Amino acid sequence: MPGELSRAAAIVGATEANEIGYPETPKTSLQLHIEAIKNVSDQTGIPISRIDGIFSAGWSSELAEHLGLHPRYIDTTAVGGCSFEMHVHHALAAIHAGIIDVALISHGEAGWSARANKGRGTGGFRGSGDPWSPGAQFSSAYGLSGAPSNYAHAMTRHNYRYGTTPTDFAHIAVVTRQWAMLNPRAIMFSPESNPGGGPISVEDVQKARLIAWPLTLLHCCLVTDYGGAVLVANPEIARSVRTKPVWIAGAGESMSHSNMLEMEDFTATSAAASSATAYKMAGMGPEEMEMAMIYDSFTVTAGITAEMLGLAPRGEGFRLWQNGDAAPGGRLPINTNGGGLSFNHSGMYGMQLLVEAYRQLTGTAEDGVNGLTGKQTSARSCVVNGTGGSLSTTGTLVLVAD
Amino acid sequence: MPYDKPIPDPSPHTRPFWDGARAGKLMLPRCTNCNRVHWYPRLICPYCHAREIEWIEGSGGGRIHTFAVQHRAFGGWATETPFVTAYIDLNEGDRMLTVLRGVDPTKPETIQIGAKVRVEFEPASEDVHIPFWRLA
Ligand SMILES: [Zn+2]
Repeated sequence: MPGELSRAAAIVGATEANEIGYPETPKTSLQLHIEAIKNVSDQTGIPISRIDGIFSAGWSSELAEHLGLHPRYIDTTAVGGCSFEMHVHHALAAIHAGIIDVALISHGEAGWSARANKGRGTGGFRGSGDPWSPGAQFSSAYGLSGAPSNYAHAMTRHNYRYGTTPTDFAHIAVVTRQWAMLNPRAIMFSPESNPGGGPISVEDVQKARLIAWPLTLLHCCLVTDYGGAVLVANPEIARSVRTKPVWIAGAGESMSHSNMLEMEDFTATSAAASSATAYKMAGMGPEEMEMAMIYDSFTVTAGITAEMLGLAPRGEGFRLWQNGDAAPGGRLPINTNGGGLSFNHSGMYGMQLLVEAYRQLTGTAEDGVNGLTGKQTSARSCVVNGTGGSLSTTGTLVLVAD
Repeated sequence: MPYDKPIPDPSPHTRPFWDGARAGKLMLPRCTNCNRVHWYPRLICPYCHAREIEWIEGSGGGRIHTFAVQHRAFGGWATETPFVTAYIDLNEGDRMLTVLRGVDPTKPETIQIGAKVRVEFEPASEDVHIPFWRLA
């Protein structure tokens, strides 16, 4: 039986910034936010002035001020890429409690332009710069250089524990690229869109440059610009706007650690816990999910998360991609936008997951601007899972079409 | 040549660890209530939430829990690539991160999870000696 919060609110719109990926003229994070927010207001017909709750990863007061809003609910949870799934969870609760009617969840991050901007105007997830933090004292001496250098340790342990190989996980990159080739907004859409674009093989993935063994470049996500915005509203508004609602049937969040030093099991994440909460609220199980949007910062992230979400047995998540289930035309489409691996990944990817899930479940994945024939699936339900930090935090949503 | 990689900045509550390191000892925090060793050093026991924590001298031994080979790095580490990073299961319990010595980063398939390792300390400055682990 569904929980009390199930379907107490719906996503009523989800849009992107005008320009994402590798823009020719560098953008600021604020620009990417504002473009997406204006677009979601235009899409739904809900005026920006009607927004009474604001949710973002560290930007909420700045955004509200920029928009001239005086919101009743301000949430700026920033725990990495899953923050946006958590924002939906929090907005659901705030709407159910009657505190707000319309929640804006916004994301802007100049992951690519940060280079040209020399770090200015880039914002995003603000990690600890405190030299006395545990990470600074007991991790920084050892030459790790960002997410790939950490996540590689999880792949090694998974290979050891379950007898899997990096080649098994390479199938995830290959299939995700097939989806990107159906999405003209994807960086890796074609050889014309990017010299590295177009089809890839398992052999290509394994022969690519090593970043952090066992991860080659093609096991790793892109670094791009992105802006995206979502509006969540109460059922009355959801029924009255011109866009279709996607109901929040279930939501959950959890974490296992902050520093990877504290990751008890390198082959598991808190997605097991956050999805258990979400499935219970929805009164649905993994077997009822008709598609999945899974944070693929790395192939290993997607493979392990599929196991945690109950979509595959432990140690066998990669098989969903290897056997074609997750591919275009497969039984359980996964990452239909082309993923963080081949579509777009700005540093925190949770918003990209939400926008694509909304499009798929409202039948607008092939709206003539953002899709090619073959990208729209027939899915009526979608499990969405974001991962943040170093396989640290997770947020899971069960979304269903109207 | 002076040490050219990041040097940790000891905080007051981790000072006993760094004092030990300078003397070649692996000092570990242990809760006097539940007797469990934890890593990294806490202001409260992460297992039983007691605040009575003592420092004990560890055996300096452990085993490889998992590892990776870094082919891309920044600063002083950039010139050392490829090098092996590893998480070490301490004999006393819990886990430390390290750069693993005595292994061939060009042959990761020869590195065994579960292999025994020993700690050693490298003087990075007069005050700070950094623990590294080596295949035993
Ligand atoms: Zn204790």
